[in-house]
Amino acid sequence: MIGQPLSEPVTGTITARDARRFALAAGDLNPLYFDEAAARDAGYRTTLVPPVFLAWSLTPPRPLEDVRVDGLYRGEGKRVTLNVKRVMFGGEEWEFLEPVFAGDTITSVTRLKSLEEKAGGSGPFVLQMTETTYTNQDGAVVARAVGRSIAR
Amino acid sequence: MTGQRYLEDVSIGDDMPPMVKNASRAQLFLFSAATNNPHRIHYDRDYAAVEGHPDVLVHGPLQGAWLSQFVVDWAGPKGRLLGMGWQNRARAFPERDLTFKGKVTAIEGDEVSLDVWEEDDSGALLMPCTARVRLPRRA
Repeated sequence: MIGQPLSEPVTGTITARDARRFALAAGDLNPLYFDEAAARDAGYRTTLVPPVFLAWSLTPPRPLEDVRVDGLYRGEGKRVTLNVKRVMFGGEEWEFLEPVFAGDTITSVTRLKSLEEKAGGSGPFVLQMTETTYTNQDGAVVARAVGRSIAR
Repeated sequence: MTGQRYLEDVSIGDDMPPMVKNASRAQLFLFSAATNNPHRIHYDRDYAAVEGHPDVLVHGPLQGAWLSQFVVDWAGPKGRLLGMGWQNRARAFPERDLTFKGKVTAIEGDEVSLDVWEEDDSGALLMPCTARVRLPRRA
Protein backbone atom coordinates (compact mmCIF):
# COMPACT_ATOMS: atom_id res chain seq x y z
CA MET A 1 0.00 0.00 0.00
CA ILE A 2 3.04 2.28 -0.26
CA GLY A 3 2.10 5.22 -2.50
CA GLN A 4 -1.62 4.63 -2.03
CA PRO A 5 -3.90 7.38 -0.72
CA LEU A 6 -4.64 6.67 2.95
CA SER A 7 -8.14 8.09 2.71
CA GLU A 8 -10.44 9.97 0.37
CA PRO A 9 -9.28 13.53 -0.43
CA VAL A 10 -10.46 16.03 2.18
CA THR A 11 -11.71 19.43 1.03
CA GLY A 12 -12.47 22.38 3.25
CA THR A 13 -12.53 26.16 3.32
CA ILE A 14 -10.07 27.71 5.75
CA THR A 15 -11.76 30.64 7.42
CA ALA A 16 -9.89 33.65 8.78
CA ARG A 17 -11.45 32.77 12.12
CA ASP A 18 -9.94 29.26 12.22
CA ALA A 19 -6.56 30.54 11.02
CA ARG A 20 -6.54 33.23 13.72
CA ARG A 21 -7.64 30.80 16.43
CA PHE A 22 -4.62 28.65 15.53
CA ALA A 23 -2.23 31.61 15.40
CA LEU A 24 -3.46 32.89 18.76
CA ALA A 25 -3.16 29.44 20.36
CA ALA A 26 0.45 29.37 19.15
CA GLY A 27 1.04 32.91 20.43
CA ASP A 28 1.80 34.11 16.89
CA LEU A 29 0.49 37.66 16.38
CA ASN A 30 1.88 38.20 12.86
CA PRO A 31 -0.20 41.04 11.32
CA LEU A 32 -0.26 39.13 7.99
CA TYR A 33 -2.76 36.76 9.65
CA PHE A 34 -4.87 39.44 11.37
CA ASP A 35 -4.71 42.73 9.50
CA GLU A 36 -6.00 43.15 5.92
CA ALA A 37 -4.05 46.37 5.42
CA ALA A 38 -0.79 44.79 6.60
CA ALA A 39 -1.36 41.85 4.24
CA ARG A 40 -2.02 44.21 1.30
CA ASP A 41 1.08 46.28 2.16
CA ALA A 42 3.12 43.10 1.89
CA GLY A 43 1.67 42.45 -1.59
CA TYR A 44 -1.07 39.93 -0.71
CA ARG A 45 -4.75 40.24 -1.64
CA THR A 46 -5.99 39.39 1.85
CA THR A 47 -4.81 37.88 5.16
CA LEU A 48 -2.73 34.72 5.09
CA VAL A 49 -3.13 31.41 6.88
CA PRO A 50 -0.18 30.45 9.15
CA PRO A 51 1.76 28.01 6.94
CA VAL A 52 1.73 24.98 9.23
CA PHE A 53 -1.97 25.41 10.07
CA LEU A 54 -2.64 23.67 6.74
CA ALA A 55 -1.99 20.37 8.49
CA TRP A 56 -4.84 20.98 10.94
CA SER A 57 -7.21 23.13 8.96
CA LEU A 58 -9.18 20.34 7.32
CA THR A 59 -9.60 17.85 10.17
CA PRO A 60 -13.16 16.58 9.96
CA PRO A 61 -15.31 16.52 13.12
CA ARG A 62 -15.32 13.04 14.67
CA PRO A 63 -17.68 11.38 17.15
CA LEU A 64 -16.59 10.65 20.73
CA GLU A 65 -16.84 6.92 20.01
CA ASP A 66 -13.80 7.33 17.74
CA VAL A 67 -11.57 8.49 20.61
CA ARG A 68 -9.26 5.77 21.91
CA VAL A 69 -8.11 5.41 25.52
CA ASP A 70 -4.99 7.48 24.76
CA GLY A 71 -7.19 10.23 23.35
CA LEU A 72 -6.10 9.74 19.74
CA TYR A 73 -8.77 9.15 17.13
CA ARG A 74 -9.17 5.65 15.81
CA GLY A 75 -7.90 5.16 12.28
CA GLU A 76 -10.36 5.49 9.46
CA GLY A 77 -10.53 4.30 5.88
CA LYS A 78 -7.34 2.66 4.68
CA ARG A 79 -5.20 4.41 7.30
CA VAL A 80 -2.56 2.07 8.66
CA THR A 81 -3.60 0.65 12.02
CA LEU A 82 -0.64 -0.27 14.15
CA ASN A 83 -1.13 -2.37 17.23
CA VAL A 84 1.16 -0.29 19.44
CA LYS A 85 1.15 1.37 22.84
CA ARG A 86 1.95 4.85 21.73
CA VAL A 87 2.51 7.08 18.77
CA MET A 88 4.85 10.06 18.86
CA PHE A 89 5.07 12.87 16.40
CA GLY A 90 8.51 12.49 14.80
CA GLY A 91 8.84 15.57 12.64
CA GLU A 92 7.81 17.12 9.37
CA GLU A 93 9.26 18.37 6.10
CA TRP A 94 7.29 21.14 4.38
CA GLU A 95 7.50 22.79 0.98
CA PHE A 96 5.45 25.98 0.72
CA LEU A 97 4.81 26.64 -2.98
CA GLU A 98 2.06 29.29 -2.93
CA PRO A 99 0.62 31.51 -0.23
CA VAL A 100 -2.59 30.27 1.41
CA PHE A 101 -5.22 32.94 2.02
CA ALA A 102 -8.05 33.07 4.50
CA GLY A 103 -11.10 31.85 2.58
CA ASP A 104 -9.18 29.47 0.32
CA THR A 105 -10.71 26.06 -0.30
CA ILE A 106 -8.01 23.46 0.06
CA THR A 107 -8.02 19.79 -0.88
CA SER A 108 -5.55 17.48 0.79
CA VAL A 109 -4.53 13.98 -0.19
CA THR A 110 -2.31 11.91 2.10
CA ARG A 111 -0.35 8.97 0.78
CA LEU A 112 1.69 6.40 2.64
CA LYS A 113 5.31 7.05 1.71
CA SER A 114 7.04 4.36 3.76
CA LEU A 115 6.67 2.09 6.74
CA GLU A 116 9.84 0.69 8.31
CA GLU A 117 10.69 -1.22 11.43
CA LYS A 118 13.76 0.22 13.13
CA ALA A 119 15.96 -0.66 16.08
CA GLY A 120 16.14 2.25 18.53
CA GLY A 121 18.05 3.00 21.71
CA SER A 122 14.95 2.26 23.79
CA GLY A 123 13.71 -0.70 21.75
CA PRO A 124 12.28 -1.33 18.30
CA PHE A 125 9.90 1.14 16.72
CA VAL A 126 8.00 1.64 13.50
CA LEU A 127 8.73 4.74 11.44
CA GLN A 128 5.77 5.73 9.30
CA MET A 129 6.18 8.42 6.64
CA THR A 130 3.23 10.02 4.90
CA GLU A 131 3.14 12.64 2.17
CA THR A 132 0.29 15.11 2.01
CA THR A 133 -0.36 17.37 -0.97
CA TYR A 134 -2.47 20.51 -0.52
CA THR A 135 -4.18 22.02 -3.58
CA ASN A 136 -6.22 25.24 -3.67
CA GLN A 137 -9.50 26.09 -5.46
CA ASP A 138 -7.56 27.16 -8.57
CA GLY A 139 -5.83 23.79 -8.85
CA ALA A 140 -2.45 25.11 -7.66
CA VAL A 141 -0.46 22.89 -5.32
CA VAL A 142 0.17 25.23 -2.39
CA ALA A 143 2.17 22.91 -0.16
CA ARG A 144 3.54 19.44 0.34
CA ALA A 145 4.28 17.91 3.72
CA VAL A 146 6.12 14.73 4.61
CA GLY A 147 5.29 13.62 8.15
CA ARG A 148 7.18 11.14 10.29
CA SER A 149 5.53 9.39 13.18
CA ILE A 150 7.08 6.89 15.53
CA ALA A 151 5.07 4.04 17.01
CA ARG A 152 6.30 1.64 19.65
CA MET B 1 7.36 40.85 14.77
CA THR B 2 10.35 42.79 13.50
CA GLY B 3 10.60 45.09 10.46
CA GLN B 4 11.55 44.02 6.97
CA ARG B 5 14.80 42.13 6.45
CA TYR B 6 16.50 42.56 3.07
CA LEU B 7 18.81 40.23 1.22
CA GLU B 8 21.58 42.84 1.22
CA ASP B 9 21.62 42.85 5.04
CA VAL B 10 22.18 39.12 5.45
CA SER B 11 25.50 37.23 5.51
CA ILE B 12 26.39 33.58 5.92
CA GLY B 13 27.05 32.87 9.59
CA ASP B 14 24.67 35.57 10.88
CA ASP B 15 22.88 34.60 14.08
CA MET B 16 19.12 35.04 14.25
CA PRO B 17 17.99 36.94 17.38
CA PRO B 18 16.64 34.24 19.74
CA MET B 19 12.94 33.86 20.54
CA VAL B 20 11.76 32.46 23.89
CA LYS B 21 8.45 30.65 24.42
CA ASN B 22 7.03 29.31 27.66
CA ALA B 23 3.78 27.39 27.30
CA SER B 24 1.19 27.51 30.06
CA ARG B 25 -1.07 24.50 30.52
CA ALA B 26 -3.93 26.67 29.26
CA GLN B 27 -1.99 27.31 26.05
CA LEU B 28 -1.52 23.58 25.55
CA PHE B 29 -5.26 23.11 26.01
CA LEU B 30 -6.04 25.89 23.52
CA PHE B 31 -3.62 24.44 20.97
CA SER B 32 -5.25 21.01 21.35
CA ALA B 33 -8.60 22.70 20.75
CA ALA B 34 -7.41 24.74 17.75
CA THR B 35 -6.04 21.59 16.11
CA ASN B 36 -8.86 19.25 17.24
CA ASN B 37 -6.27 17.03 18.95
CA PRO B 38 -7.67 14.96 21.82
CA HIS B 39 -4.36 13.20 22.64
CA ARG B 40 -4.37 12.89 26.44
CA ILE B 41 -0.61 13.38 26.91
CA HIS B 42 -1.16 17.10 26.33
CA TYR B 43 -3.71 17.74 29.12
CA ASP B 44 -3.95 14.71 31.43
CA ARG B 45 -0.88 14.46 33.65
CA ASP B 46 -1.95 11.14 35.19
CA TYR B 47 -2.39 9.64 31.75
CA ALA B 48 0.92 11.12 30.54
CA ALA B 49 2.58 9.17 33.41
CA VAL B 50 1.05 5.95 32.00
CA GLU B 51 2.97 6.66 28.78
CA GLY B 52 6.13 7.28 30.79
CA HIS B 53 6.14 11.08 30.83
CA PRO B 54 6.76 13.03 34.08
CA ASP B 55 4.33 15.75 33.01
CA VAL B 56 2.09 16.68 30.10
CA LEU B 57 4.02 17.39 26.89
CA VAL B 58 4.10 20.37 24.59
CA HIS B 59 2.70 19.27 21.22
CA GLY B 60 5.25 18.60 18.49
CA PRO B 61 3.11 20.60 16.06
CA LEU B 62 3.03 23.57 18.47
CA GLN B 63 6.83 23.56 18.49
CA GLY B 64 6.67 23.28 14.68
CA ALA B 65 4.36 26.33 14.63
CA TRP B 66 6.90 28.19 16.81
CA LEU B 67 9.77 27.23 14.50
CA SER B 68 7.84 28.59 11.53
CA GLN B 69 6.89 31.73 13.48
CA PHE B 70 10.57 32.27 14.35
CA VAL B 71 11.60 32.03 10.69
CA VAL B 72 8.64 33.98 9.26
CA ASP B 73 9.18 36.81 11.77
CA TRP B 74 12.89 36.90 10.96
CA ALA B 75 12.15 37.14 7.22
CA GLY B 76 9.70 40.01 7.72
CA PRO B 77 6.34 40.64 6.01
CA LYS B 78 7.77 40.68 2.46
CA GLY B 79 9.90 37.60 3.00
CA ARG B 80 8.50 34.20 2.02
CA LEU B 81 8.93 30.90 3.80
CA LEU B 82 9.68 28.37 1.03
CA GLY B 83 10.27 25.25 3.04
CA MET B 84 11.20 23.86 6.39
CA GLY B 85 11.77 20.54 8.07
CA TRP B 86 12.15 19.60 11.69
CA GLN B 87 12.71 16.54 13.81
CA ASN B 88 11.44 15.73 17.25
CA ARG B 89 14.50 14.78 19.33
CA ALA B 90 13.35 15.22 22.93
CA ARG B 91 10.26 16.08 24.95
CA ALA B 92 9.24 19.66 25.71
CA PHE B 93 7.35 20.51 28.89
CA PRO B 94 5.04 23.40 29.81
CA GLU B 95 6.11 26.21 32.17
CA ARG B 96 9.71 25.93 31.01
CA ASP B 97 11.56 28.39 28.80
CA LEU B 98 12.02 27.05 25.28
CA THR B 99 14.50 29.04 23.22
CA PHE B 100 14.62 29.22 19.43
CA LYS B 101 17.95 30.02 17.82
CA GLY B 102 19.29 29.95 14.31
CA LYS B 103 21.89 31.03 11.83
CA VAL B 104 22.28 31.72 8.14
CA THR B 105 23.98 28.79 6.41
CA ALA B 106 23.72 29.65 2.69
CA ILE B 107 22.58 32.38 0.33
CA GLU B 108 21.76 31.53 -3.29
CA GLY B 109 20.15 34.23 -5.44
CA ASP B 110 17.40 35.62 -3.24
CA GLU B 111 17.04 32.38 -1.25
CA VAL B 112 18.50 32.13 2.23
CA SER B 113 19.01 28.81 4.04
CA LEU B 114 18.82 28.71 7.81
CA ASP B 115 19.72 26.21 10.49
CA VAL B 116 17.25 26.65 13.32
CA TRP B 117 16.82 24.78 16.57
CA GLU B 118 14.85 24.71 19.79
CA GLU B 119 16.51 24.21 23.16
CA ASP B 120 15.01 23.75 26.61
CA ASP B 121 16.17 25.53 29.78
CA SER B 122 18.88 22.89 30.35
CA GLY B 123 20.32 23.59 26.90
CA ALA B 124 19.11 20.24 25.54
CA LEU B 125 18.36 20.19 21.81
CA LEU B 126 14.65 19.48 21.31
CA MET B 127 14.05 20.16 17.64
CA PRO B 128 16.64 20.74 14.95
CA CYS B 129 15.22 22.39 11.84
CA THR B 130 16.31 23.67 8.46
CA ALA B 131 14.42 26.37 6.60
CA ARG B 132 14.56 28.22 3.30
CA VAL B 133 13.22 31.74 2.84
CA ARG B 134 13.12 34.22 -0.02
CA LEU B 135 14.05 37.76 0.97
CA PRO B 136 13.29 40.96 -0.95
CA ARG B 137 16.08 43.21 -2.22
CA ARG B 138 16.27 46.87 -1.29
CA ALA B 139 14.64 48.86 -4.07
